[in-house]
Amino acid sequence: MCIIAFYFDCSYRYVVSPVSICYHEIRGYFSLFYTDMDISRRDFLKNIFKLGSAAAAAGALSSLSACDQETPPSASKSGQETTPVATPPPPGTAYLAVARGKTPEAITRAAIEALGGMKRFVKKGDDVIIKPNICTDYHTYEYAATTNPEVVGALVKLCLAAGAGRVRVMDKPFGGTAEKAYERSGIAEAIEAAGGEMEIMSNIKYREAVIPDGRDITRWTVYGDALDADVLINVPIAKHHSLGRLTLGMKNLLGLVKNPAQFHFNLGQRLADLTSLLRPELTVVDAVRILTNHGPTGGNLNDVKLTNTVIASHDIVAADTYATSLFGLTGDDVPAIRAAVPMGLGTTDLESVKVVEIDV
Amino acid sequence: MAAEAAKKKIKSTSWKWVWTRRTVQTLSLLAFLYLLLVTVQGVAVHMPYDLFFFLDPLNGIASMIAGRAWIAPMALGIFTLFLAVIIGRAWCGWICPMGTVLDWTPSRRNPEKPGISPVWSQGKYFLFFTVIIGAVLGSLTLNILDPITLLFRTLAGAILPGLNWAIEGVESWLYNFGALRPAVSWVDGALRGWLLNDQPFYLPNLILLAVFAVVLGLNAVRSRFWCRYLCPLGGLLGLISKISFVRHRVDTEKCISCGKCSKICPTGAIQPEEKFKANYAECTTCLSCLEGCPTAAISFGREKTVVPQQDKTRRWLLYSLGASALLAVFLRFVPAFASKARSAVRPPGSSEDSLYSQCIRCGECARVCPTGVIQPTQTGNPGKTWTPFLNTRLGYCDYSCNSCGIICPTGAIAELPLEEKRKTVIGVARIDKNRCITWAEGRDCIVCEEMCPIPEKAIRLGGEGEGEGQGQGRGGGNGRHPHVIEELCNGCGICEHQCPVAGESAIRVFPL
Repeated sequence: MCIIAFYFDCSYRYVVSPVSICYHEIRGYFSLFYTDMDISRRDFLKNIFKLGSAAAAAGALSSLSACDQETPPSASKSGQETTPVATPPPPGTAYLAVARGKTPEAITRAAIEALGGMKRFVKKGDDVIIKPNICTDYHTYEYAATTNPEVVGALVKLCLAAGAGRVRVMDKPFGGTAEKAYERSGIAEAIEAAGGEMEIMSNIKYREAVIPDGRDITRWTVYGDALDADVLINVPIAKHHSLGRLTLGMKNLLGLVKNPAQFHFNLGQRLADLTSLLRPELTVVDAVRILTNHGPTGGNLNDVKLTNTVIASHDIVAADTYATSLFGLTGDDVPAIRAAVPMGLGTTDLESVKVVEIDV
Repeated sequence: MAAEAAKKKIKSTSWKWVWTRRTVQTLSLLAFLYLLLVTVQGVAVHMPYDLFFFLDPLNGIASMIAGRAWIAPMALGIFTLFLAVIIGRAWCGWICPMGTVLDWTPSRRNPEKPGISPVWSQGKYFLFFTVIIGAVLGSLTLNILDPITLLFRTLAGAILPGLNWAIEGVESWLYNFGALRPAVSWVDGALRGWLLNDQPFYLPNLILLAVFAVVLGLNAVRSRFWCRYLCPLGGLLGLISKISFVRHRVDTEKCISCGKCSKICPTGAIQPEEKFKANYAECTTCLSCLEGCPTAAISFGREKTVVPQQDKTRRWLLYSLGASALLAVFLRFVPAFASKARSAVRPPGSSEDSLYSQCIRCGECARVCPTGVIQPTQTGNPGKTWTPFLNTRLGYCDYSCNSCGIICPTGAIAELPLEEKRKTVIGVARIDKNRCITWAEGRDCIVCEEMCPIPEKAIRLGGEGEGEGQGQGRGGGNGRHPHVIEELCNGCGICEHQCPVAGESAIRVFPL
């Protein structure tokens, strides 16, 4: 028996998952029959309720095809193919808002207000996903490894006030369980108080998506609900990171993919590619506290700097670029920002856009 | 007419008894499964999650003798011993979840001719003596045969991870159908945390499943083969039942020697050659014979006479005592079985010694581990088979978790406060420069450094252009490579777990 055991130990240190293989096979098989059905899943789901049960049956079939050929977001948000960023700012509002002050909730509200209010991003009944950075369950938010709970809580309240149908907050920690990390970060408590819901990101909701604008990667397995949500709000915390130099908005989106460790080859370009797929409608960089060294996990209060700032923009690149200045860097120092500019994902030229700075 | 009515009455009373027993058995098994499922980080501490391990007197006696320590909750085992003094092996027939599983497994009842010599039922005494003599010598190796640990370990190590994998597979597929999404999402959310988790299926645990399948499969030879011939706990309770009060009785005047009771008895306790009297060491008081008897000749109560059959085996009892002493000495002193060498990364708070002599091999730590890093050892020193080790490719020791120490029922893994556990060194990470992406290929990668939970980072990157000529530039990277600061590394293994190199990790944790 020991010989058999030894054989197993040597050969199978890894988990093999034949189910996932079968499942791709089955999907491929069905797609042979349904590839010509070109319906956006989001519209489709909305119609299901109107069309009744007969349509629901047909819908189940057509969503199969939608799975296989993920509709490119640039096409589904019609008319924006040439627009580099999600929602262009209405006239008179800020392109990038920077609010400073002692109360995280107040500065978050002020920044969103300067952008034209949450109604600019969230429409009545929208399914909203807020993605903070809850990377581990190691430390409380004072250690600046996870997003400030008051900032996330304020965003949930604003979304609900704007008429959102459902507001979910989620991240996939790489250290510790989601339950514990949500609790330790203080975000679970803040979200409960604000009326939002924390979602444990389930293994079953990932699916392979095509990244039509991708330069290094053209496919990756991504959290399906993040692709399907009406609004994705990205709430990173500004932190030190040795390979990406800093972890900001684009790096924060890494929490929505499967196999994030594999993502680290050519990280900067891949993050830009991922951004082109997910295109968060709004990015709010939490710089209430920033982690200046030993990121992204932190754990030492000496590395934490109190900067009492929140940066918000529909343009993830612009928000990230502004955040680099808090560390005495520029956009050029961060590989992901460098890669995003030629792809037209946003601007690093903050001189040419309307930046509104508010002191609360 | 009157005879018919009397028969009916017999039927209904015995039926009631049998169904009472079945209800108790079911409730006991459900309680066992419930306590297994709530053995989850942060939840188990509010539950009597290790109740069954404490109720099991074999675990208590063996672990206290081998560990040379008093474990207060193990005193609950006295309840089971007391039960045995009163009504023999009622534990086996009414409470033991393993026995219930065996009752529910299809089986072959007793044929007309015995076929298997009753001498073989000495097997359980032999194994019981081996466990105890082994414990006296300081080894708990054979406690793997304890029925409660056997069942728990199989469920926690193989069956639940297998279910997790299968359910997630089905759900993932169903989640593709747009119309089913809300329902699938709801079901997934309801199951997540207790049935579904991040524990991977560790393939060598198929051996646990195979052992369990053999135990169940032996039912095809005889019903409850395990309880009759092998179970060391059954051996202990069988020995005690020789002095029990409430016993199986046969009214020889009413008995028509039809043999129905001896055929129906799940443990073959009833001996046709002894006027259908029961061997008390085998009888589990399941009361099935009441239902079988057409003349109500069987009852349970105070009975003094000793069935001669039991005396015949006294000699065999001595033989098995001698043989078990030999086996125990072999397991304890033959170097290949009792090497103290550290062969694997062990849970924080445990040592090779504590796992050898205090660990009852129950698998609670593997069940509670949120990342699935704790698995039963299958290789190395056979004396420590199925003691916990850390497979740091499969999972990692979470920097904020000390659940295994809290959960361990015997203290084989010491309960460490979180701050102390974070500083407890269980191994050290070493980089394989022939495989590391930055060293071997000259490309950028810092996953291990990023993941390292130590606030000062036990993995650090060298400066730009460092290690020139060793791949710098070839892969277009910035030439910065990871280094392990050994004094800071606690061996948690998240670097090995997350290393993106395919196959064997380029950074591995080694035992100290």
